[in-house]
Amino acid sequence: MKLQEGKQLAEAAVSRALSAGATYAEARLQNTRGRQFILKNGESQPSFFAEGYGIGIRVISRGALGFAATNEMKPKLVSGLAEKAVKLAKASAPLLKKKITFDSSKAVKRRWSAPENVKIENADAGWLRKVLLDIEDRIGNGRAGVKLPGRFLALGAELEEKYYVNSDGAKVEARLPRIGFFGSLTALEGAASAQRFIQQGETGGLEVVKRVRLVEKVEEEVKTMGKVLRTAVKPPTGTVDVVMSPELSGIAAHESVGHPQEADRVLGREGAQAGESYLKADSLGRKIGSPEANVSDDPNILHSMGYTPVDDEGVAAKKRRLIKNGVINEFLQNRATSAEFGLESNGASRSVSFDREPIIRMSNTFVEPGDYSTEELVKEVKHGVFFKTFTEWNIDDKRFNQRYVALEAYSIEKGEVGVMVKAPVLEITTERLWGSVKARSKNMEFEAATCGKGDPSQGAPVWTGGPETLLTGIKLGAR
Amino acid sequence: MDLGDLNEDAVSTARKLGAEDSIALTARVNDRMIRFANSSVTTANQVDEAELMVYLAKDRKRAIASTSNLDSANVKSFVRDLFASLKGLPESEYVPLPDRKVKYRPSTLGFDRKLVDVGEELPELAKTAISASLAAGGKRSAGVIDAATVSYAILTSTGTDGSDARTSITLNIRSFAEKDASGHGLSCSSTLSGFDPEEAGRRAGTDAKKMRGASEPEAGAYQVLLSPTVAANIVETVGSAASAFSVDAGTSFLTEKLGKNVAAESFSLTDHGTVKGGLGGRIFDDEGTQTKSIPIIQKGELRTYLHNLTTAEKWKTKSTGSAGLVSPHGWNYEVGAGDSSYDEMVREMKKGIILTSNWYTRFKNYRTGEFSTVPRDGAYLVEHGKVTKPLKGMRAGDDLQRMFSSIRLLSKHREWIEWWEVDTPTLCPWLLVDGVKITRAYE
Repeated sequence: MKLQEGKQLAEAAVSRALSAGATYAEARLQNTRGRQFILKNGESQPSFFAEGYGIGIRVISRGALGFAATNEMKPKLVSGLAEKAVKLAKASAPLLKKKITFDSSKAVKRRWSAPENVKIENADAGWLRKVLLDIEDRIGNGRAGVKLPGRFLALGAELEEKYYVNSDGAKVEARLPRIGFFGSLTALEGAASAQRFIQQGETGGLEVVKRVRLVEKVEEEVKTMGKVLRTAVKPPTGTVDVVMSPELSGIAAHESVGHPQEADRVLGREGAQAGESYLKADSLGRKIGSPEANVSDDPNILHSMGYTPVDDEGVAAKKRRLIKNGVINEFLQNRATSAEFGLESNGASRSVSFDREPIIRMSNTFVEPGDYSTEELVKEVKHGVFFKTFTEWNIDDKRFNQRYVALEAYSIEKGEVGVMVKAPVLEITTERLWGSVKARSKNMEFEAATCGKGDPSQGAPVWTGGPETLLTGIKLGAR
Repeated sequence: MDLGDLNEDAVSTARKLGAEDSIALTARVNDRMIRFANSSVTTANQVDEAELMVYLAKDRKRAIASTSNLDSANVKSFVRDLFASLKGLPESEYVPLPDRKVKYRPSTLGFDRKLVDVGEELPELAKTAISASLAAGGKRSAGVIDAATVSYAILTSTGTDGSDARTSITLNIRSFAEKDASGHGLSCSSTLSGFDPEEAGRRAGTDAKKMRGASEPEAGAYQVLLSPTVAANIVETVGSAASAFSVDAGTSFLTEKLGKNVAAESFSLTDHGTVKGGLGGRIFDDEGTQTKSIPIIQKGELRTYLHNLTTAEKWKTKSTGSAGLVSPHGWNYEVGAGDSSYDEMVREMKKGIILTSNWYTRFKNYRTGEFSTVPRDGAYLVEHGKVTKPLKGMRAGDDLQRMFSSIRLLSKHREWIEWWEVDTPTLCPWLLVDGVKITRAYE
């Protein structure tokens, strides 16, 4: 309803900005309503509801970008805000070395929504709490076989609605419901402790909880934590083969392929915050991995957290083949970076709120599937480690030197999965990691994640995933 | 839109509906920003927004909600909907609001009227930083200047009311001299007169130049000299661990350590609701409790957790004025100064590494405090008290208690730090720590 009321304001803001001297203008209404419930060690916390509605106006004037946003939705104020955005751009233009232009991507006129069976509006606090109590029933009081003195369970239901209009003719209306779960679990066995952070989520309605097997998954994770504490032994070190699970394949794809292939990072725009990239503008076509290294980002996967068929610049979003057969094939682009590359945008521009400018974001980043079964992949390994889940991870700001510390991991000997091993560490360069890919399974799985970028920071919902990926000849450490 | 009127609308509506406790807390933000990369402006932004947060309790049932739709009629219906939602809720941990009326007047600490109107000056300030970096040896710079004014007002059903306001201006600049050579500079101030973009730019450019030809260190244990920027990033995780909510949730290495030594005797950490120079905080917390200075760690001993009313009741103590309605948190951290100069600290190092900036601090286990972080920008090897060469491509790992217990020296000089990697403003010295593990990619 609010979006309908605001449409005229948005369209008037674009007109006002143009008459104030903008050569390009866009306005984005965004209305987000989210409800969350938390159980801490089985105790209900206050229910939480948040709604945010406002308008963000972005312009180009004298070759510079200006952005202004407010939640005071009065016609006079919004009109003044459009003028302000133009004024900001003009005032900063003297500090411009190269004028900012947008490419000629086709302007989309479309209304889209993520499919939902049971409307997200039905997710009241009672429903959210019931799901969490179902989880608590399975893992509280040692019921999953291990003491969990620290249990933080949060379930949220959010509806994001947008109306976007720009001076190139784009008009987009979107409805994006999401269900997201976050759990922080601390297990104790004697003096030893293990910790696992679980994030699950999809776009859709209340059916998401069953579709992702949320309750069962959390229980399985807790049982595994108990096994880690009771049975894990020292991992092999030295040179081994490594099988990365879908979870590990996904985080590696996100961190060391998706991020360094964001064109704004490649061009230096995130230099002071999230950093630049080991890749440069002329790196397209560079061989970075084995022929088996294939990584993509696809915003058109139904139910995914990164589902965005039209981006926040009014461009139809396409699947991006980031690494194709070991070669840097494509960057994530918005209309400004694609203009610099002489290309058309592939629709990677997103904003998480009306008060944040759209920037280049991943959607669902994953290793492409291969043709092995998981069993066949493991059979290929004579001496190695199967990384199932990870805890600590990080990567440098050029996205070249990364580290993943496993929580659940197993030895592999002569093609058979063996004992559980404790905290093996994969600390490796991007080139070495993707250069070591020998084979991939057919088994595709995805995890929900929140990707951080931008200033002020924007946490964007994404999926990471892939199949089991076999890396050969890897030097492994232990924590 | 008067913040006090909105609060009055919310609390009076709640009272009429029969809420036992209600709190209305409004915040209005005016944020002005300029960003640049490759020494060229990339965008200029301004955000004006206001938000109302409402807390209601009845029959031990509690709900919190926030809205940015602040018309008076909408606020009333918003509170009515929130009150109606209480019926379907379970009882939760509940402590009534204290039966006292406190009238708060805005603190003058942390507010500079001259910063309220800063906006058109931002391009010129950015130019100053970029020019200083260039003069010091940086070839190109990326950065952001952010000027913010935040006003708060609170009203509770027990009659506590008042307002407060904060201003801040921060610059984060990174300069690049060649492929892997970069330097970082910050200037963070609550006043315009305390803002020094030239010095921040000079530092970034100087380190960028000095980092040319950097190589990877050997993996091993080193004495590590952490700049205020790096130290503040790690200190902030100690502050988070001091929240009673983190302790309850199993995500604190300070669990079961009240009254015990958790750091070297030279280390003290205090949280201030308001403090001279502090870029954050206010005189009241989210429950209307007066904020104050809370010694979290004194001479290495853990003195208290940070509490709101609910966690304080559970721990049989008093609120520390740190609410967050759900989770208590710090406002402005201060690490006590030491008595060493930077040069003395470097001379103290036999085999050490100086780190000037870092990012991506991640934990293997918050309960044990095991973490690693990735240094970036200026990093230098020190051998027998002398800086010998620039370093790159490494990772520092430790556990928090071991690290803070292994502090050898702290500097006299301290700086306020708030940037992309430090959310809670922190006044921090240089820290010299023994035995930090340095690793690099195995291949």
